[in-house]
Amino acid sequence: MSLRPAANILACLGLLSGLAAGAALAEGTLVTGLATNVPDAETRISGLRLAPMPRPARIYALNCQGCHGASGVSVIEIPELAGRVGYFARIPEGRSYLVQVPNVALNPSSDQDIAELMNWLLKTFSRAELPTDFRPYTAEEVARLRKERIDPSARRQRIVEQLIAARLLPSPDALALPHATLY
Amino acid sequence: MIPISNTRFDHLVEKLIRRTAQRTSRRSFLSLCGSWLVAASALPLLPVSRRAQASDVEHREKKAVAKFASDFANQAQTSDPTQCNYWRYCSSDGYLCACCGGGPHTCPPGTSPSPTSWVGTCINPDDGKSYLIAYRDCCGQDSCGKCSCLGQEGDMPEYRPQVNNDIVWCFGASSMVYHCSSAGLVGLAE
Repeated sequence: MSLRPAANILACLGLLSGLAAGAALAEGTLVTGLATNVPDAETRISGLRLAPMPRPARIYALNCQGCHGASGVSVIEIPELAGRVGYFARIPEGRSYLVQVPNVALNPSSDQDIAELMNWLLKTFSRAELPTDFRPYTAEEVARLRKERIDPSARRQRIVEQLIAARLLPSPDALALPHATLY
Repeated sequence: MIPISNTRFDHLVEKLIRRTAQRTSRRSFLSLCGSWLVAASALPLLPVSRRAQASDVEHREKKAVAKFASDFANQAQTSDPTQCNYWRYCSSDGYLCACCGGGPHTCPPGTSPSPTSWVGTCINPDDGKSYLIAYRDCCGQDSCGKCSCLGQEGDMPEYRPQVNNDIVWCFGASSMVYHCSSAGLVGLAE
């Protein structure tokens, strides 16, 4: 406990001057004045402060972030969410597909959590691509949608074709994948 | 044999004592006595439940140690990342990068961090808060072999690969050869 005052001073210094050091430690999280110190060997020195994550962000981090990345961008093998995922919500089939993708539909999270996750994810990573009349998902809608098992590759391909035909994509390859069989 | 007394009770006692005196020796009495002594002292060693006799102090101490719902957090520390009980390693399965020339969240020279990871939740024993931790493998060199640690919290069987820590998380990295495991802070859960 005797370390506390020193840690606080370091934290203040960190906030004023060396935010970069703290930001490098955390993997894409908020570093704000409202945050608390992390009692840890490294963060006592760097003064990293973390704000509590919103619930949907936490669900994303625990269930999706490992592959899709903290900011919705990852390696080429994993479909990018950032600046892209919102296109699917432009047609009803695409809106359903986002919940029916196996790793969403079969995720152990509750219907309510999935609904909150999808609404947060779409607005955080792809607000510009959402339709202007986007309605947030509800738990009931998620419960109904996630019961249906789909063939993700075939379904995705069909939806992308529909989006292209309806001229809802800025270019035909806006939702292209590196391998055709990757959903 | 002339009876000492005529009363029936005295007669009975006399008969009993005489018979005992005739049939038993002092040695056998001593040996019997000895075996009773040994048996009496051995009785408390029998494996019976003694919860009722346990002192209150002992109970209170046990409760103080079991502060968190997580067994790992109850034994964890926050100052030495080269030890298995460093708080961030609650779900880490593999060799600690901190022992292999890297840090708790940095890869040793010659290896590169995998772009993919799995994320778990650990309790920091100093502030009691839950933090999300990204378990990111460092890939590209043979296994480090130092500080093998097996944290199991939140770990699921292989048929739930997204949250399984036995598989090598080098997906997307330039090499699938596993070297060590790092544990980076993702955020504050509560």
